This record gives sequence, C-alpha cells and structure tokens, in this order.
Amino acid sequence: MAHQRAGKKISSDVKQNIIMFGGLVFCIIFFSIFTSLHGQSIWNPEKLSTLISDVIVTALLSVGAVFVYALGNIDISTGKQVGLYATLMVVIQQQTGSLLWGVLLSFLIAIFIAIVNAITGELLHIYAIIPSVVFMFVLSGLSTIIYSNLGCRSISLYNYDYSIFKNPWVMVGTLIIESLLVAFVFNKTMVGKYTKAIGANAISASQGGANIIKYKVMAYIVMGVCTVVASLFQMGYTASASDSTGTGYELNVMIALILGGMPLSGGMKSRVSSALVGAMTFSLLNVGLPLIGVPVNFTFMVKALIFMIVVLITCRKRGGVLPR
Amino acid sequence: MKENEIIFQAINIKKEFDVTVALKGADITLKRGEIRGLIGENGSGKSTIMSIAAGMQSATSGEMVYKGKTWNPTSMIDANLQGISMILQEANTIPGITVAQNIFAGREKEFTSHGIVRIKKMIRAAQALLDKYEIGYIHAADQIDRYNFEDRKLIELVRCINENIEILVVDETTTALSHNGRNVLYKLIHQLAEAHKTVVLISHDIDEILEHCTSLTVLRDGEIMGELTKEDMQKSDIANKIRYLMIGREMTGDYYRSDYDSVCSEVSRLSFQHVTFGRIKDFNLEVHAGEIVGIGGLSGCGMHEIGRAGYGLEKLIEGKVLCDGKIVKSCKDAIKYGIGYISKNRDTEALILNGSIQDNIVLPSLPDLQKGIYISKKSEHMLSDKEIERFHIKCADGNQWVNTLSGGNKQKVSFAKWTAKGANIIIMDCPTRGVDVGVKQFMYQQIMEMKKAGNAILMISEELTELIGMSDRLLIMKDFEISGQFKRSSGLKPADMINYMV
Repeated sequence: MAHQRAGKKISSDVKQNIIMFGGLVFCIIFFSIFTSLHGQSIWNPEKLSTLISDVIVTALLSVGAVFVYALGNIDISTGKQVGLYATLMVVIQQQTGSLLWGVLLSFLIAIFIAIVNAITGELLHIYAIIPSVVFMFVLSGLSTIIYSNLGCRSISLYNYDYSIFKNPWVMVGTLIIESLLVAFVFNKTMVGKYTKAIGANAISASQGGANIIKYKVMAYIVMGVCTVVASLFQMGYTASASDSTGTGYELNVMIALILGGMPLSGGMKSRVSSALVGAMTFSLLNVGLPLIGVPVNFTFMVKALIFMIVVLITCRKRGGVLPR
Repeated sequence: MKENEIIFQAINIKKEFDVTVALKGADITLKRGEIRGLIGENGSGKSTIMSIAAGMQSATSGEMVYKGKTWNPTSMIDANLQGISMILQEANTIPGITVAQNIFAGREKEFTSHGIVRIKKMIRAAQALLDKYEIGYIHAADQIDRYNFEDRKLIELVRCINENIEILVVDETTTALSHNGRNVLYKLIHQLAEAHKTVVLISHDIDEILEHCTSLTVLRDGEIMGELTKEDMQKSDIANKIRYLMIGREMTGDYYRSDYDSVCSEVSRLSFQHVTFGRIKDFNLEVHAGEIVGIGGLSGCGMHEIGRAGYGLEKLIEGKVLCDGKIVKSCKDAIKYGIGYISKNRDTEALILNGSIQDNIVLPSLPDLQKGIYISKKSEHMLSDKEIERFHIKCADGNQWVNTLSGGNKQKVSFAKWTAKGANIIIMDCPTRGVDVGVKQFMYQQIMEMKKAGNAILMISEELTELIGMSDRLLIMKDFEISGQFKRSSGLKPADMINYMV
C-alpha cells in the first residue's frame, strides 16, 4: 500500500513538471520549426533580443507575484503601479538628473501599498483583491492628474545614458539574481514557508504559530519590491514613460503564472519556477505568433484560444474542477 | 412485502481508485426489516460499498440486484427516488439556500406549476416533514446556514426519507450528533425497521452497533470478514470477537490505561482563572504536571471553547489563562510557553490537508529550525522522519500529502506536530474522533507516555468511556459550567455522569 501511494505521489509531482515545462518546450519546438517555414527564426540575435526585452518585465513582475498568488490572492493594481513608478522615475530624473530618488520613492510607495493591501484585506474581512482594485483606480487617477498637469501624454529621461537597461546581459542577470533571491526566501525561510501554509490553510497556519497579518504584509512587500525593479526596466528600455505604461500588465502576470502551472488557489504547490517558465511561454507566443504569419489583428484571438486549451488540458483538478 | 425477504444483493463488488483497491470483491445481502450494522476500520471499504449501492459512485466490477432487478443507479438522486438513500459522513447540504430547498433538492418538479416553483407550497411540505420527525424547531423557510452541523445532519435525514424509501444507509453520522440528535435518529431507524424497511448503520462504535442492530457485517481491507446474527450478537464475549475480526489480530495490552493512581505533581502548569468570554462565566481550572484532566459533556456545553481559550484563541472579557505563571494572550504565546493544541476540526483547523506530512509536522517548529533566516531541508527531514517513526504513520515518506492518509494517520500527524515541537502541555479536543480501534489504542498509549514524561494534558472529549479510561480527574460540563467532578477510580461508569450532562 505504502509503495502504491508513493507511486501516486510521484506521478502528481511529475504531472506538475509536465504542466510547467511542457507548454514552454512545445512553444520552443513549435516556433523553431514553423518560423523557419516562414523564412524567419526566433533564434536570430535581433529576434532573441526582442524576446528578452519582452520577457523581462513580465518575468520580473511574475517572480514577485508568486508570493501573493501563493497566498491565494491576486493583485490587480500591478500594471498601474508600474505606470506610476516609471512616471515618477522619469519626472524626478528630469528635475534632479538622477534616477536614484525616483527609485527610492517608488520603493516607499510600493511598501506602503503592500502594507495597505495586505492589512485591509485581513482586518476588514474582504477579499484581498478588493483593496488592490481600489489602488488600481487611485493610481489611474494619479497618473491622469500627473499627465494633465504636464500637458503631454509621454515624457522621456533628460540627457541620460540609458543603454545599460537595454543590455541583454544586464536584463538576464537582474532576472537571475531576483529569481534566486525570491526562490531562497520562498523555499528556505519562514516567510516563504508561512506564506505557502497560509495559502493552503490560514486557520491551520495560524494555530501553528504563523502571524497571518505579518506574513501577508511580507508577501505583498516582496511583490512590491519586484514591481519596482520591473518598472525600472520597463522605463529604461525606452527611457520614457507615458499615461499608458504598464496597462494590462496584471493580466500578463496572471496569464504567465497560469501557463507556468501555478495553482490560483495558492498553497504548497506554488513554485517560483512557474513564474519564469510561464513568462517565457507567454513571450514566445507574443513574439512568435506574428512570425508564423498570424495577422497582428488576430494575435489576441489566437492567444485566447491557446490559453483556453492550456487551462483545460493542464489545470483541471481531480473531479474535473477548474483551478479555484 | 414480507419480513426476511431479500431486497438488495451486491455480488463480488470491486472498486479501485487509481492504484488503491478499496473493495476486493465484496458480497452483501440485505433483507427487509433488518437493521444491519456495517463495521470496520477506516479504509476497510464499509462506506465505499454502500456509496456504490446509493449511486454516489460506480463499482469497477461486480453486480447489484435490487427488488429482483439489476441495479445501476445513475446518481444519488436517482437512487433516492427509487428508494435507496444514504446520509453521508461529511456535510452534504447545499449552502446559501433554504432548508426547504435542501430537503426537496432534485424534486422541484413536484412543486412546479407553469414553470414556476411554488416556494410557499414547498416550505409547507418541508415543515410538515420536519414536524413529523419532531425537529420542528428547524424552520423550513430559514437559510440553511443558520443551523449548525448537527441540525444540518438532521435536515439531511429528512431529505433522505421519502415515501419510496426501502433502504436507508447511515454513514457514521452519530459521531456528529448530540444526545438529542442521536435519539431522533435511533427512533427513526427503529420505526423504519418496524415498517419492514431496511436500515444500514455504518459505524466503528461497537457499543452503538450492538445496541441498535439486528445483524452485523464486519469488513477489513476491502473484504467481508464475517456476518453475525442477532443470536451471535448477544453472546457475552462478542465485542472482543468483533474487534478481532476488524483488525485481524488479538488486541494485546491494555486498551485504556490500567492504573488507578491519580497522584500527580503539585505544580500547576496551565491555569484558568475567572475566565469569562462568550457564554462562559468565571471558569476556573488547574492542570498539573503529569496530570490528565478530562472534560466531558454534550457538544454545545462549552467544553470545546475552554480548549480554545486555553490555547489563546478566544478573546477573554475577564480573567486570564496562565501557563507557568505567564499570561497566554494568543496562540503565539501559547506555542512559545510550550502549549500544543489539537483541534477537534482535524481537516479544517488542525491540518493543512493540501500539504505534505512534513510541512504539517514541522510547521510549529519552524522558528526553532532556522539558523539566521535559513531553514535547511535536512533539518526539516530529520525532525519529521523522527515523528513519523515514533507514531508509525503509514506513508511512503514525509513528502506524501496528508489528504491521502486515512483518518487515524491524519490524527497521528496532528499529534506529531506537537511532540516535534516538544510541547509539554497538550490540549486535545476530541483526540480520537474518527479514529479506528487499533489506532485509538496506540494513541492512548502515547497519551500515557506523555503523562509519564510529566506533561500536563487537557483532554476534551464527547466519549465518556475514553475520558473515564484515561483521566486522573474528570469534569463534566453543562450549560457552559462545570456541573460535576470525578476522581479516577475503577468504579466510575458513564451512567454516573449522564445526570450531570443533561
């Protein structure tokens, strides 16, 4: 009996790996073959660099978001946060000539938002997504005010060498460092272990000694910090920000995590690698679909179709229930 | 329709879940007018075979005959309409709708005219049923969420019994019911039997089975181990024989503790002083080192709340809970001072079901395992493997998920959490609920070990026999107060206590 159960357990782990890497491997093979039929290649340096710049922001955001998703929560204000931080960085650079103050201010705001997001949900007994929806509106409002005062819809860095943010090695290096740090905190410290336990069963975690509010705040702060890092690269790639910067990124994060096999209910099966694999799969679709002759007008439809298929094949739980 | 006529037959039923075999070809024959007991340890297949008969799932292979025809119900509602109903162990009511809608779920057509469900008509019919079973204090028009687990079970009972009923299956329902609820159920069972209907009572409480059943089938590991007639069941030594059939070996050693020495240290470890909250008023209790204090009573007497308060889970209006002289304000304090708490709600509170055995065992010990901020995989492994071995938890390894374990093994994990942490004051609320005899005996031995090691134990239970068998001092609670106190002695009997409970 014991051995039979072992077999079942291992197969469920293997299944999660297949979910995680299967989609990515399929996309890589698929696009390698089919882009070449169209006389293109995703592997030429130019396309590869597009791919990296496309993947980097989503991946930096998703890696941090793993913490909040592991709680079983969703943060819908991510995109607007990216917009605000990018804007602040540019505005303050124009005034002071340095990016530092904008980045620091962004960190402070991110931590403030994280604390409010985590605490209000818990203390007022409302779904954690609600405060983040409120932030989405507030930040949209802020951005509208800023840009109407500036009298333009986009702003650029003033007299600044931003080539460092376009260097693929810097991008990849930052992603690797962030992923390793987040993975360490997630898998090897109390913060990560309690985060997963709270996502799996908050009552049990609390009776086991976890301070729910404290660790929820920590989880949101990890996500906030990663959001600022992502904003820096988002802004740095074009050296500019606009009133539409970051729009819809929260959905990109959600899609990336689901494609990477992250359970939306959070808990013990959450993994940092889901974020990386999912973000890469998502970007491959973004970059690859136009290359195999899918008209740009149709890419959203095709993505929706692929997303649906992936979810139906991979995310079904025992008893045929979709991820909750 | 005559008595002893065969109404249902299952022949060579096999059921496999992936690689786990739940039934290895079981036969069962039910006759009209009998109350059949079905007994076996967790995982013996006793629930599985009846859930197949009641249409909840289908068998992997085998044949069923009901009223002389081949029986293949498509769903529980289908089976219910044709006369086989089952009350499940877990809550099975639909939240968010009224009691009446629950009772007539799947039968809305009977109340429909011109495509509209006549709600008032449905409520009237439901209320009539509730009144008939003497649980008229439940109002058919109310939202079902207003009622507690016990009332919802009784509502399920009403739903199961319609005019077509031939076979009623009651799956370990009584453990969730209080004294009154049980009486409603038992009365109904006997009424049905007198009306030549068949009742199947699934339980692992031997006393309950012997008291109410007219025949008995024992299962072990997916096989039928024996069938006992009414005459067999009246023999003097029958309980031991049933236990033997259930676990397949003689029970060696004592079931409960054998000594009647209730001497313990004078040192008070856990103390409740004028504790007041909710409906509890001025509650006082001292638990000493090396002492097992039992609290018994009906569910709803306040004893579970006392357990929660001892662990810092309740906000006190007045008074305090002290552990070695230090005030316990939160469960974080409690853990720090060495208190462990095993909730009676094993699956929702005590355990993270969707987590590994190791995740669960090490959870309270995480602060002790970290070096700086780093927690090594090895230290977690070592801690959990030690406890898995100590409790003989049946698993492949610590990475196996808790939701794949049987009830007894799950409960072992919730004990192991606190022995791993080194807790020396343990509050256990219904420590053997849903645990079978073999594991129960093992748990009692473990509790005795804890006592011998000088730990203070507060044992809250709905089973009087277990409290009498284990406690040094036994308190009975009624209406949120202590109504009786008993010292450990060989002459103590449950009958002595009933008066203090009701």
